[in-house]
Amino acid sequence: MIFEGKYYNGQSSKGMPAQIALLADGLHIDYCADEVCGSVHWELAGIHQSEFNDATTLLRYGKFPQQSISVVDKEFKEALQQQYRGTAFLKSSYNSVLSLGLTGIAIMALSLLGLLVAFVIWGVPALADRVAMHFPQSYERQLGEQLYTKMLQGYQVNEEKTAALNAYLSELETDLDYPITAAVVTSDEVNAFAIPGGYVVVYEGIIDKMEQHEELAALMGHELAHIQKRHSLRAMTRSLSYYMLASVFFGDVSGVAAVLVDNASSLRNLEYSRNLELEADRYGLELLRRNELNPQGVVLLMERLQTSDSSEMLAFLSTHPNSEERIRVLNELIGEGKQPYKKNPVLQRHWEKLMH
Amino acid sequence: MTTTLLEEEKQTTHFSFTGRGSEYFAIEIVNLLLTIVTLGLYYPWAKAKSLQYLYRKTELAGTPFVFHGTGKEMFKGFIKGLGVFIVLYAILLYGIFSEDTGTLLITYGVFMLGLLALIPLALHGMMRYRTSRTSWRGIHLGYRGELSDMYSTYLIGFFLTILTLGIYGSWFVVKLRKQMIDNVRFGNVRLRYVGDGGDLFLIHVKGYFFSIFTLGIYLFWYTKNLLHFYVNNIVVLQEDGTYSRLQCHVSGWEVLKLTVGNILIVVFTLGLGIPFTTTRTMSLIMNNTVMSGHFDADALVQTEEAYDSATYESMTDMMDIGVI
Repeated sequence: MIFEGKYYNGQSSKGMPAQIALLADGLHIDYCADEVCGSVHWELAGIHQSEFNDATTLLRYGKFPQQSISVVDKEFKEALQQQYRGTAFLKSSYNSVLSLGLTGIAIMALSLLGLLVAFVIWGVPALADRVAMHFPQSYERQLGEQLYTKMLQGYQVNEEKTAALNAYLSELETDLDYPITAAVVTSDEVNAFAIPGGYVVVYEGIIDKMEQHEELAALMGHELAHIQKRHSLRAMTRSLSYYMLASVFFGDVSGVAAVLVDNASSLRNLEYSRNLELEADRYGLELLRRNELNPQGVVLLMERLQTSDSSEMLAFLSTHPNSEERIRVLNELIGEGKQPYKKNPVLQRHWEKLMH
Repeated sequence: MTTTLLEEEKQTTHFSFTGRGSEYFAIEIVNLLLTIVTLGLYYPWAKAKSLQYLYRKTELAGTPFVFHGTGKEMFKGFIKGLGVFIVLYAILLYGIFSEDTGTLLITYGVFMLGLLALIPLALHGMMRYRTSRTSWRGIHLGYRGELSDMYSTYLIGFFLTILTLGIYGSWFVVKLRKQMIDNVRFGNVRLRYVGDGGDLFLIHVKGYFFSIFTLGIYLFWYTKNLLHFYVNNIVVLQEDGTYSRLQCHVSGWEVLKLTVGNILIVVFTLGLGIPFTTTRTMSLIMNNTVMSGHFDADALVQTEEAYDSATYESMTDMMDIGVI
């Protein structure tokens, strides 16, 4: 079968009227223009992939400068398909998607949307967690130290209380992989937070609220759990990866740097998931038990923070939601009956220093 | 002279865009899917595919353009560009974590200078890449600009713009466009950019004040004026001395309809409908653009040689410089 079309030889933009024959081993093209006539044979292997054709079919052939033909004839398209089905130049996964029609495309779009949502909800946190868990401890410690120093620049450190708190901590028996450095800063805010690598910042406001040192032990147990289980690092990588994802989506690479710079300040407002908070609570309780302290300290701490003056900004609880549920879970964990516990005079002494 | 040329300008050669939103949408959905599944590695192939579609559906005198770029080429460029950015960011991060203000300032300076030095390179590379990979009726475009000229044009213009508190910016943009467009070859056809910095400055001044007075409504007419300034000042010269001029007839009202429609599409499809906005924009511009004057579509002759590297294509992407 012979088709009419235009032939371009790759040297000039002149379209030469051509007759195209589909042969078993390729295309045979006879062209004639301005009394110059000729013919070329196109091997199938040399024809370039041809996608997105419409009423016009465009085929290109050979190395630079490529020859090409253009044929405005629907039958040519069909004849090509019939004659050369499965040949490389006709293969196109995109064309097969285009031929799915509107319903098919809509289904693809919806499943893509689902995939995206799933990726953002489950994929990103999982990946971020993996990164955080494989982060070498020495780097974590370095990073933590820098964040810690940067953090403290914005506060006034109470040296005496800091010394007392550190003495208290060193007396506590823990199973931490990290050496702990803590600081007490002057602020009425009722808050405390952990920084990756073994750093804890405690506000005077939260210490003032407490009446027994078991509460402090519970609080420290909670914060130390965030460090030991790398919660803070995980939360950081998580929020960082969302930022990075957003900046990649919006094509703003420079945004990533800004995020890294800003992140130090957002540490104190990091939110942990419910599960991580409960895990930290459990760990706090375990710490009390390990040190043979009254396990009621954890519940006391929660209740104290909950019932204290509500007009105050309770940052600790506001970043730690669901205190009712947490108290319930803790009570369940402590269980019925009397728990064996002792007084600890050394801890008590450090605590009294801290209370001054 | 003007009168005879005006007579010639009555002949017109049309551009047109035949792409359809639904088709482009399907292509981009596949692209997005593969890009996600490959954690971004597919991006260069995705980009090549969408450019191939958009070029294939853009016609001049009834014949489509062809984009010859491949994902493999762009991937190599992508990796190189990524490497450069990683080095720059590593320097900056080193400064941030050094905790030392002096070091931070120095590394920040190096970072900014690095970016500044990359822009001309990226523009030059993009012009070379895009033109060499574009053909029409088998005739390739090409870019003959020198990198050193791009650097001097860019750096001089950049600093003059800063020194004049931005006023020189209009002249700078025109100089840059001249550098880019005057060096384009379309076979044996040459392009000239004949816009004047003063005119652009007036457009900006007028656009600024009118937009304020009209509570932003004039912005669409401002955009239209800029579009006309960028497109209508391109002159196409053929070897026999005849020339034609690009003419874009998009009106402010049409820009308004396009923009509002595009915003609605993006908002109500949560961004998935962006391909539709691309085809809408392409349709409006291409279907309202002609070459008026003498243009002999049959007289183009191949003048390019075979081509190479794609390093800078992706770099312009990363730096978010949209030129074409």
